[in-house]
Amino acid sequence: MREELVWQEEAVSERLNALHHTLGFIGALWVLLIASLRGLLSGRIELKETLHQMAFIGATSVPIVALTSAFTGAVVTLYSASLLVDVGGGSFVGGAISLAMARELAPILTGIMVTARCGSAIAAQLGTMKITEQIDALRALAVSPVQYLVVPRLLAGLVMFPILGTVANFAGVMGGWVVASAFGITLNTFLRSIQLLTEPFDFVGGLIKTLVFALIVVLVSCQQGLGSRGGAVGVGHATTRAVVLSMVLIFVANYFLAEALFAER
Amino acid sequence: MNEMPAIWVRNLVYQVEGKTILKGVSLRVEQGEVVGIMGASGSGKTTLLRCISGLIRPTSGEVWIEGSDIAHLPEHEKMKVRLRLGIVFQYSALFDFLTVYENVAFGLERHRRLLRKEIDRIVSERLAWVGLDGTQKLYPSQLSGGMRKRVGLARALAIDPHIVLFDEPTSGLDPVNAYQIDQLITRLNRELGLTAVVVSHDVVSLMRTTDKIAMMEAGEIIAEGTPEAIRQSEHPKVQAFLKMASSEHLE
Repeated sequence: MREELVWQEEAVSERLNALHHTLGFIGALWVLLIASLRGLLSGRIELKETLHQMAFIGATSVPIVALTSAFTGAVVTLYSASLLVDVGGGSFVGGAISLAMARELAPILTGIMVTARCGSAIAAQLGTMKITEQIDALRALAVSPVQYLVVPRLLAGLVMFPILGTVANFAGVMGGWVVASAFGITLNTFLRSIQLLTEPFDFVGGLIKTLVFALIVVLVSCQQGLGSRGGAVGVGHATTRAVVLSMVLIFVANYFLAEALFAER
Repeated sequence: MNEMPAIWVRNLVYQVEGKTILKGVSLRVEQGEVVGIMGASGSGKTTLLRCISGLIRPTSGEVWIEGSDIAHLPEHEKMKVRLRLGIVFQYSALFDFLTVYENVAFGLERHRRLLRKEIDRIVSERLAWVGLDGTQKLYPSQLSGGMRKRVGLARALAIDPHIVLFDEPTSGLDPVNAYQIDQLITRLNRELGLTAVVVSHDVVSLMRTTDKIAMMEAGEIIAEGTPEAIRQSEHPKVQAFLKMASSEHLE
């Protein structure tokens, strides 16, 4: 009986700790979001750092985003074309892949690939800066770490994610077309199908998703990096948490965004 | 003695995770004075320095920096006070993605409206003070430990602080480099009238650079006075520390 009570107490305490951590994480993210938006609106943007981050998050991510999107578009087309051509629906293949890329695959792939590539790097860099007192050195020089480190990354993310999303769309559809052509679907039929089944809002909606994903990846990675503690192991944990939390939040946000943007269409 | 001290710490208490790191510390540093804070590792001296710089908020007590209580100011107000403070970190804390020039110019570019030429001149001058002019294009990873500390000092001095806080400026350095850093502190104090607080467990260094030493033990100041008075102190813990430190130095 007594043992059971102790076990129950421990279970309650563990849950309270988990709740405490979750609330702490949400609170820290919220505070960082407000501080970053305030920094963004202040107009005192670190131009050099922002351009550097735009190159890092955007330009250097193009090949990996394009490659993964092209193969995803290709494999989705492989399944859909083999089904649709059999039932005489080959003329819808272009529209199907275009719709899937625009609404779902391009934004998600952009979010996931940039999280893996840049979210981890942001958390590791800021975490290392934290444990080597470089964040304190910024504050000692009367420079806000949010203004110098978070705002440029956020701005770069907000500008580059939609561009990467567009690249992913284009690459995915191109990958799809290569496979579709192997099923005897002509370019003309493929393009006409895209025109018929997709609307401009499908692309716009997808790009709106990428903006939300940019907020998630940058803020979570910065928050985890800036919250690093305890040396190299702490930085490693922060990096892992940044990637896992960003990905989970991207999938959760994706559902609600799909509900809000496309449920009625 | 001036009316307003450069730094006035009053009844400072700092607690974290149920532990009391500082137990009501009080310390007065006059303008132009070099004060050493001496003590073993874990005695709370670095925590005291971080409270003085406003990098951490004390649980209670006051930290007056030239008339502003930095402990109770909001972050944006603390920034203004920090422009009067230069902080030299134990492990230099140079921005490793920036060159020596960019590190030293960092504060200037953000807080002073200066022409590039003027910034170049100040950077060269500060680096010359620490004997490192000509290293502008190097990255911190290309410098030795002693050089990194000196660049850290040049960076702190670039914004013309009134007070410089040194966290273990000689730790990890060979005697020649340690002596050079001591000479620099003394020169800056004599030639520029800078106030300095030097946190260190290097007794030899503190004895030759400071006007006053405060000895910390378990979060409290247990002795305070001129280097000579500290040397003559009959406090058993001070004597034990000095004895241990001097035998370590001889070894």
